[in-house]
Amino acid sequence: MLVGISRRDLLKRASLLAMAVPGLATVLDACASAVPTAKAKILRVGWTIEPDTMNPLTTYSTEAVEVLQLIYDQLMHYDLDLKPQPGLATSWTYSPDGKSITYTLRSATWHDGKPFTSADAKFTFDLIKSTKTSAYYQWVTSMVSTEAPNATTLVLHFSQPQAFNPGLAVPIIPQHIWTGMDATKIQKFVNSHPVGTGPYKFVNWIKGTSIEVERNESWWGTKPAAAKVSWTLFQNEDVMAQSLKTGSVDICPEIPPTIWRGLSSAPNLKTVSLPSFSFHHIGINVSDNPKSGGNPLLKDRNVRLALSYAVDRQQLVNVALAGLGTPGSALLPAGFGEWHLDIPESQQFNANPAKAEALLTAAGYIDRNGSGVRTSKGGKPLSFRLIAIQSTSVDVAAAQLFRNACAKVGIQLKLTLLDANSLGNTVYNAQAPNWDIFVWGWDAGVYDPDYMLGIPLCNQIGANNDVYYCNRHYDQLYNEQSVTIDHAARLALVHQAQQYYYDDAAYIIMWYQDKLQGYRTDTWQGWQPVNGGMVLNFTRDNYLKVRPA
Amino acid sequence: MARFRYLGRKVAWLAITLYGVVTFNFVLFHVLPGNPVRLLARSGHLTPQAVAAITKVYGLNHPLIVQYAIYLGDLLRGQLGLSYTYREPVGTLLGQYLGNTVLLLAGATLLTIVLGVLFGVIAANRRGGRYDSLTVTTSVIGWSLPTFWTGLILVFLLGVWLHAFPIFGSQTPNAVYTSPWLRYEDIAAHLFLPTLTLVIVNIAQFVLVARASVIEVLAEDFMLTARAKGLARRRILWRHAVRNAMLPIVTSSALLVGLVVSGAIEVETVFSWPGMGLLVYNSVLNRDYPVIEGAFLVFAIVVLLVNFASDLLYQVLDPRVREA
Repeated sequence: MLVGISRRDLLKRASLLAMAVPGLATVLDACASAVPTAKAKILRVGWTIEPDTMNPLTTYSTEAVEVLQLIYDQLMHYDLDLKPQPGLATSWTYSPDGKSITYTLRSATWHDGKPFTSADAKFTFDLIKSTKTSAYYQWVTSMVSTEAPNATTLVLHFSQPQAFNPGLAVPIIPQHIWTGMDATKIQKFVNSHPVGTGPYKFVNWIKGTSIEVERNESWWGTKPAAAKVSWTLFQNEDVMAQSLKTGSVDICPEIPPTIWRGLSSAPNLKTVSLPSFSFHHIGINVSDNPKSGGNPLLKDRNVRLALSYAVDRQQLVNVALAGLGTPGSALLPAGFGEWHLDIPESQQFNANPAKAEALLTAAGYIDRNGSGVRTSKGGKPLSFRLIAIQSTSVDVAAAQLFRNACAKVGIQLKLTLLDANSLGNTVYNAQAPNWDIFVWGWDAGVYDPDYMLGIPLCNQIGANNDVYYCNRHYDQLYNEQSVTIDHAARLALVHQAQQYYYDDAAYIIMWYQDKLQGYRTDTWQGWQPVNGGMVLNFTRDNYLKVRPA
Repeated sequence: MARFRYLGRKVAWLAITLYGVVTFNFVLFHVLPGNPVRLLARSGHLTPQAVAAITKVYGLNHPLIVQYAIYLGDLLRGQLGLSYTYREPVGTLLGQYLGNTVLLLAGATLLTIVLGVLFGVIAANRRGGRYDSLTVTTSVIGWSLPTFWTGLILVFLLGVWLHAFPIFGSQTPNAVYTSPWLRYEDIAAHLFLPTLTLVIVNIAQFVLVARASVIEVLAEDFMLTARAKGLARRRILWRHAVRNAMLPIVTSSALLVGLVVSGAIEVETVFSWPGMGLLVYNSVLNRDYPVIEGAFLVFAIVVLLVNFASDLLYQVLDPRVREA
């Protein structure tokens, strides 16, 4: 007998469960189970997504990096202003041509007592380069050689100048543990007890429950106040928020808007809303692939501009996001500060249905049969398929608003809701992308314009490029900025690239959502607000700098 | 001799069924659309070289039939593959969750069988009385309830309104225990509601089967003989009647294991109990096919082995099977 459960059944039940559980929230308030803890020795984080692996070379999850960044030092780290500060490297210099970076390293000790030397750092970069499978490989693709002339010096040589310093991204791993592993071995290496040089040592990971690290008493930096840090996994956001209220966790780095609002009045609790490095967008299939099933009318820029003008981004923020965000425009979110291109409102393709109608009429799209839907000169209706992720309620709400706004200018959208993986598989079916328009979002993988600017590149088709945009001029702008070290010159190029992509209107960036966090004020103090979040961000300094309240 | 032939036939069927399950599992998850490498890399910024290297590491560059051969070969060597999410051998991963599931399921199964048989036998003994109709009605209501719904109702009643039991996880988050006993107490408290849910939805079959078969046995001639011999009523019931009524109960027990295993997926999800069921649920959402394949295989093996064991137990309990 086979186990009596069908997938459809399970998913159906799961969705019923999902409907029933939010109802719990109101009642859960009454359910307290506070645990008396010793006064603020452990810093306790609560979240709802479990890390994937403790292997820094194979992880793709933000949550894993959050834990690993306390265990493994990098050559450089971001401070609380997201400016580079020394890590294992006390200083770094670029060669005049920008193609070589020399790092001066400090003396440090691995968690197992062995000394750290430049050989470890050299080994790390060489390994990532030779195995190719790590997410960090993107930072060393143009690296040609590495050198460790003495125990405290590391030199990286590249074939072209490096605008982004890879020292800010790559965790340094010990040669004596990783030596001799090939790509396959590394993929299978669980790293169940990670050994780094960082401020915290790994204690344990109880799968499905929690991860714990303890302070490294022989760390080279200023010792953090928290003797331990723990991350507790919650399967349900309501229970997580409840635990924050009752004091069994100290900080929750990602809280959904409705629950976040409900927390603002709780005693000993502070909620913060910070600009993030994320956006949600409407993506339009502009694939040149002859096998693409996308509607060819979408390759007419006039149609894309009309779609963009039809929708009011402020309304999307107000309705779909409950006001907790900023209306979107350029590819880089406002959280990126000066890198973000500020397009004047008068020049944005936004909230102007009259302009949308004028554009369509001028391009020959007229309602020829009185059905309310415009048709092209060839008689093809402006009718497109729109897909969104069912469980992402903000996207569903946005898709509905978008559909209604487009109907008013004579464009018909047929909305279908899918689960996240089905949508991903549909959109990323690079051989034959058979879809017209979707809604979803992006989160920056690194605090540098490079990552998000890299999404619409020709060579990212089959990888990150979700709308199959491919434009030589854009690629050129991207390549130029990635090898420009002079800050002002690079900034100008980054702005140009954003303007160029915006003008082509393959993306309709709806909003930059806020990162909603909450923390207790009676356990730890000194949390510094940073763009992107106090924790679960590119800086680890809040973990290291908070003090007992 | 006949006994060995019987055993041989059973073992052969066991092997064939297992092979069927393995193949079905493999085909089911490999014909589904989607690019596993995309799933592996989630939102990573991957270079084409990285995509090619990962594809090779997972053997996804081979045609399906070759992948199938590799999968079977790995299975024979006891390897279930690598999880797409955790990038850890599936066997190791399942091992970390198995303990919690065994803790939950063993307790629930045992309680269901013992309590079910107890209530059923008493009901049979008081056939037609108020206790009988109350037991039968209550257990049938429990049997008709969906597992996840029962769990949610218990969460409301005993967890949220009465604050009697924790409703989430296997231990209180970040609790500091002063003695190991407090820790066991905490785990036991967390076990209570999921166990109760499984007992409520599954107990009816034991109540009904035990009741029916005991009633049947009580009507047999040798019961009259026993009473004529002057044996005590209680002794007749528990030593003579129940023993003869065991056969259908053993069958039900084997079937129950299958039900409890599938029920675990729902119960563990409702109560966030970190066991195999929750792992399967999350793996379905993450499309972590190697884990689902591995977990289903473990479930199938458990169910098959229990059925096999019950077949063997038949031989011990019933001489007629031995001769057949």
